[in-house]
Amino acid sequence: MNGLRRYLSAVWQVFRKDIQVEVRGRQGLPVMLVFALLVVFLFNFALQLSPGLQAGLTAGLLWVSLAFASTLGLNRSVSLEGENNALDGLLLAPVDRSAIFFGKTLSNLVFTLLVALVLLPVFSLFYDLNLLRPGLFLVVLLGQGAYTSLGTLLAALSIQTRTRDVLLPVLLYPLALPVLIAAVEASRGILAGTPLGDLRSWLFLLAACNVLFLAAGLMFFETILEE
Amino acid sequence: MPKKPLLLTILDILTLILVPAALGLILIYTPVEVNMGPVQKVFYFHVASAWGGMLSFVVAAVTGALYLLRRELKWDWLSQAAVEVGLVFGLTAILSGMIWAQPIWNTWWVWEPRLTTTAIMELIYLAYFILRGALSTPESKARLGAVFAIISVITVPITFFSIRLYRTIHPVVIAAGSDAAFSMSPRMQTAFFTSLGVFTILLADLVWHRTRLAQLQSELEQKGLAS
Repeated sequence: MNGLRRYLSAVWQVFRKDIQVEVRGRQGLPVMLVFALLVVFLFNFALQLSPGLQAGLTAGLLWVSLAFASTLGLNRSVSLEGENNALDGLLLAPVDRSAIFFGKTLSNLVFTLLVALVLLPVFSLFYDLNLLRPGLFLVVLLGQGAYTSLGTLLAALSIQTRTRDVLLPVLLYPLALPVLIAAVEASRGILAGTPLGDLRSWLFLLAACNVLFLAAGLMFFETILEE
Repeated sequence: MPKKPLLLTILDILTLILVPAALGLILIYTPVEVNMGPVQKVFYFHVASAWGGMLSFVVAAVTGALYLLRRELKWDWLSQAAVEVGLVFGLTAILSGMIWAQPIWNTWWVWEPRLTTTAIMELIYLAYFILRGALSTPESKARLGAVFAIISVITVPITFFSIRLYRTIHPVVIAAGSDAAFSMSPRMQTAFFTSLGVFTILLADLVWHRTRLAQLQSELEQKGLAS
């Protein structure tokens, strides 16, 4: 019991540190936000979108913007530890290294949820469609939970390569595809007014991805970071 | 470089006899399918190579796990060999599928779940080699490669069950794509299962050779003769 409390406290400390660095430095979240909005604008011109979009198109657009913006945050979250050898300090801490994984996943999730919180009203405004629905919040939470847990794991992997953070999208996007497909399908259903019960296979898939990737982090984060 | 084992030579000869034999079985022994005509014969090697690719990726994950447990480089040689040969088998499955699809579906490519997940599976294992190429030491290549091979193996069941997963949501799409669109006569079944067996032997033979190549590369690296 005491061990669990210490573990959770380590997770919390890593999370708190990441939030504190962001609050003081403001170097990650603003970039993610502006980038997410830019993606929306880019798509608008590239695809000649108009207000009153089909639900399917909006859902896809929303998730592509979120996924791109999250990648920036994930890279930032790990490359941050490369500066001043901060990672060595973290690794020296006498805790299970998976605690670092959970703390970082949590902080990354908070950042991406904040981006989503801005993006949803913006979408609603620009495309004349109400995206502020409880069901969609649930899908964003589940989808981003799975995406950031996998992303945090792979960012720790890609940061050790010679190409550093350039590699992350190549590793992350294909592996995250089941998450993105399920998230887009569920969002599309919700925007089309389908009751949540009918979308449960997609929601189950998202929940399963969460469990799977968190378990993968628990198992492999130590191995990835060992030197 | 150790001497070529006798068993490998026997496997070579067996493969050299069995592959043309299977081809003969398909071309001469099996009847021409009523609706599709001769192009249906692509099916035997198509399914066999898809099976070989998936089996190979599973082998890569298992041997990756063995490397992480035992930390012996021989498991990494086997793991990387399995990924590489699996990639070739997967590509063969895609290309042979396209040859079949052109006359039957009247197009080379359809964005259908099975095709899409197979293509994504190939991209993931392509990323495996980009990851390895971007790492500097044999130890980190083996360790992070193993982690990535284990995580990536989730795409194998996803590709395998992609049709089933989507069937609940998109019944119309599936009707066009399933392999089970015709029923097999006993002769077809004989040729089909023979192809599966022969491709498994071919896979074992190629993986074995590729493993020995990896071993040779590793020995050259240790002598400082290759980067």
